Amino acid sequence: QEYSFRFQSSDPAGNANFILQKSWAEDVRERTGGKVAIELLPVNTIVAHTETQDAVAAGIIDGHFTDTSYFAGKEPAFGLIANPVGAWSDPQQMFDFMENGGGKELMNSLVEPYGLHFIGATTPGLEAFVSKVPLDGVDDLKGIKMRAPEGMVQRVFAAAGAVPVNLPGSEVFTSLDKGVIDAADYTVFSTNHEQGMHDIAKHPVYPGFHSMPLVEVSMNKTTWESLPADIQATLEQSVSDFARRQVSTLAERDAVAVAAAAADGVTVHDWSAEERARFRAIAKGEWEAAAGASDASARVYSTLTKYLSDNGLLE
Amino acid sequence: MFVMLLGLLLTGMPLAFVTLLVALIFALGWFGPMAVPLITSRIFSFVNSFVFVSVPMFVLMASILDRSGIAKDLFDAMRVVGGRLRGGVAIQTLLVAVVLAAMSGIIGGEVVLLGLLALPQMLRLGYDRRLAIGVCCAGGALGTMIPPSIVLIIYGLTASVSIGDLFTASFLPGLMLASFYIAYVLIRAYLNPDIAPIPEPDEIPTKEKLRLLKGLILPILVVFMVLGSIYGGIASVTEASAMGVLGVALSAVIRGEFNWELLKGASLQTLSTVGMIVWIGIGATALVGVFNLMGGINFVSGLIIGVSDNPTVIVLVMMLILFVLGMFLDWVGIALLTMPIFVPIIRELGLDPVWFGVVFAMNMQVSFLSPPFGPAAFYLKSVAPEGISLGEIFRSLLPFIAMQVLALAILIAFPGVTGRW
Amino acid sequence: MASDSHDFTNERAGPTSAPPEAGTLGKIIDRLGIVFAIAILSSAAILNVEVVLRYAFNSATIWAHETVIFLTASSFVFGGLYVAARNAHIRVVLIYDLLNIKMRRLFDVVISVICSFSCAFFAWASWQSVSRAVWTPEGHIRIETTGSAWDPPTAGLIKIFLFIVLILLCVQFAVLAFNYFRKRDG
Ligand code: NA
Ligand code: NA
Repeated sequence: QEYSFRFQSSDPAGNANFILQKSWAEDVRERTGGKVAIELLPVNTIVAHTETQDAVAAGIIDGHFTDTSYFAGKEPAFGLIANPVGAWSDPQQMFDFMENGGGKELMNSLVEPYGLHFIGATTPGLEAFVSKVPLDGVDDLKGIKMRAPEGMVQRVFAAAGAVPVNLPGSEVFTSLDKGVIDAADYTVFSTNHEQGMHDIAKHPVYPGFHSMPLVEVSMNKTTWESLPADIQATLEQSVSDFARRQVSTLAERDAVAVAAAAADGVTVHDWSAEERARFRAIAKGEWEAAAGASDASARVYSTLTKYLSDNGLLE
Repeated sequence: MFVMLLGLLLTGMPLAFVTLLVALIFALGWFGPMAVPLITSRIFSFVNSFVFVSVPMFVLMASILDRSGIAKDLFDAMRVVGGRLRGGVAIQTLLVAVVLAAMSGIIGGEVVLLGLLALPQMLRLGYDRRLAIGVCCAGGALGTMIPPSIVLIIYGLTASVSIGDLFTASFLPGLMLASFYIAYVLIRAYLNPDIAPIPEPDEIPTKEKLRLLKGLILPILVVFMVLGSIYGGIASVTEASAMGVLGVALSAVIRGEFNWELLKGASLQTLSTVGMIVWIGIGATALVGVFNLMGGINFVSGLIIGVSDNPTVIVLVMMLILFVLGMFLDWVGIALLTMPIFVPIIRELGLDPVWFGVVFAMNMQVSFLSPPFGPAAFYLKSVAPEGISLGEIFRSLLPFIAMQVLALAILIAFPGVTGRW
Repeated sequence: MASDSHDFTNERAGPTSAPPEAGTLGKIIDRLGIVFAIAILSSAAILNVEVVLRYAFNSATIWAHETVIFLTASSFVFGGLYVAARNAHIRVVLIYDLLNIKMRRLFDVVISVICSFSCAFFAWASWQSVSRAVWTPEGHIRIETTGSAWDPPTAGLIKIFLFIVLILLCVQFAVLAFNYFRKRDG
């Protein structure tokens, strides 16, 4: 083995995403004939999930596997590109934007000044929405106390009439259980189901309508530039293949979990196309507001809207 | 690393800086100066989290209770309620600890609260020092064994199992552990009446008793307010701790004891107490980061992989690893180091990961008390009356550690205690 | 035994103010304590306001929790300095207590010097993250925010404050070391 790297994930060890990410590391080892060994570490092992960007840049870890919106505090554009709420209705659209719509170049123009190189994007898919009360459309959101952690998601829900409550992930379960909040933006359906969220909140909305996070795979820029071109190409290809594998695996898991949940007396709500469109319209107003936050945000906004309208995704 | 930790501890260097120094030395020695920012990054993330907000709230609650006459009246009343029962006040302190455990998911604030209130009062009533110390530390540590519990939440997120199931399963084992403590107090007190004096008959006239019992009213109202707001869905666990502060402040107002001097004294004491205990946590988190970077997870997996095919042996080896790590690291670090390895093994063996979560929480009970790095002992030390040394605290904790190990053994031998078989 | 036993209720661990060895700096830090004590009181008040607004008026704030995190994080960080200035950090004195006065002084000096050196290192390391939290890669000043809907610059402010406190800790330990040393000679 010629290269040995440490990547930190933003997912905990037992999480399905993390287990899949480890299979990516294994895949890289095989494709490079054992030349590249990547050790994947769970969230918080070396530094907190919000601090991995600095740690990668400083060379403390070599790379990370993380939701780009965690760095929105450094540059608002990270928040906009990571979660343009309502833009994507299918992971494939985002992957196409990244690979053919200028997304990858855009991402690199954002992260390279911070000392990182963006290798590729993945996503766990459309997040599910956990709720104690039946929600069948935008009007039902009115007055609902809900946990939403990130800037953009929070603002969109506030614009839709909900009452966003700031809560750390570790307080979501008890607060939902006791009714401090009625609903929560949490993670994908199958993971929510495993963690018992549906035991206490029996009206999940699935497929989700609000959020599909961009999970970036990036590494230290200097280290990347020191790699031979063939290894760079292999890494890029492996991330791209991984993204599709992750989406299909999680979709299968979700399908199994949805069936199991229904059998347990959980009512899974699926929003109609009209309601999803209404929500997307509210979200779009917020994109424009977010575009004004910085020069980089404006670049994200124009690249994104150009891609969406070129592909007929923006009516 | 552990040897250096132990050696430096004994020099009398402030504990928080011992762990920070060890982290620094290893970061420099293994990786060079470029790795040092990982320590300050962890310090930042540690202080910048909402979960720890309840620590100053509990400490503030305790120091207001202590500075007003509420605490003294409460314990005088408890003495009346305890009546002729030997060890009555210690047992009631443990019951208070169980109630506190239902209000909070962490332990720092509770140990401090009991140390500030119950410890001096038990000593005033003539209880044996070691018994009183043990009751406060072990009782305060129950906070993570009885739901809500941050240890179980982090385990649930790490192992991807239902947090509700973990809470349900830990309830009985938590009460079992508390009842061991109570039984121990009773046995000790009846074998040796000197260690837990009780009021002589007629020492307190009935009229006086009724007056004393009034001391229970305000504290019980505050408890109702806090528990009611958590279980009634009004406030999150952290917010409820702040409501407790408001509750005791209002109690002091009602008693006519509330003034700026009291508030100033209580909040300054809170600042200094959290300064001590948070910086111990800071040192611990720095050490864990460096240990992980050095390949700590691989080190732990090397200890367990291929050790045996026998599930019982594997589980026992895991317990041994957890005990040893519990002597040197705090629970977050232990969870980060061991759970990625242990939980998949438990699943492969066909054992229940929820049961194992309760086992882990029980193990962390031991880690809170076990020397040399025993957080509960440090928290108590931060508020203990002058003249109580860390050495004495640790010696006092030995029987309580033994009971925790017993509870753990029962949990492993009879998983049904969790109600899951 | 019960009635006449020693009254422990009024004794607390640690000095009640900064010891003379902490110098003028120690006195100033001790005085500043009240600011952060009030920060803790304010956190309690703000959380109660948040609960009332949310439960009674269904209008949760976007600022309460982040303000509380900022206030408590500042008091956690300052608390370490405050306790160091009062020389009240918890230590294991098993061996220390066995030493004679002269050896204790020596230990005090050496320990304080080592603590001062480590804090200097940490201050340097913390500068790396401050420089990324205060300046954008293009060199403009933009203090790191939390990235939430409210988006206050508290994340960057805490990083700056931690940096300042680490420097002060370094100086405070140096003052302690110097005064212990002087006392041994004089
Ligand atoms: Na608890
Ligand atoms: Na321990």
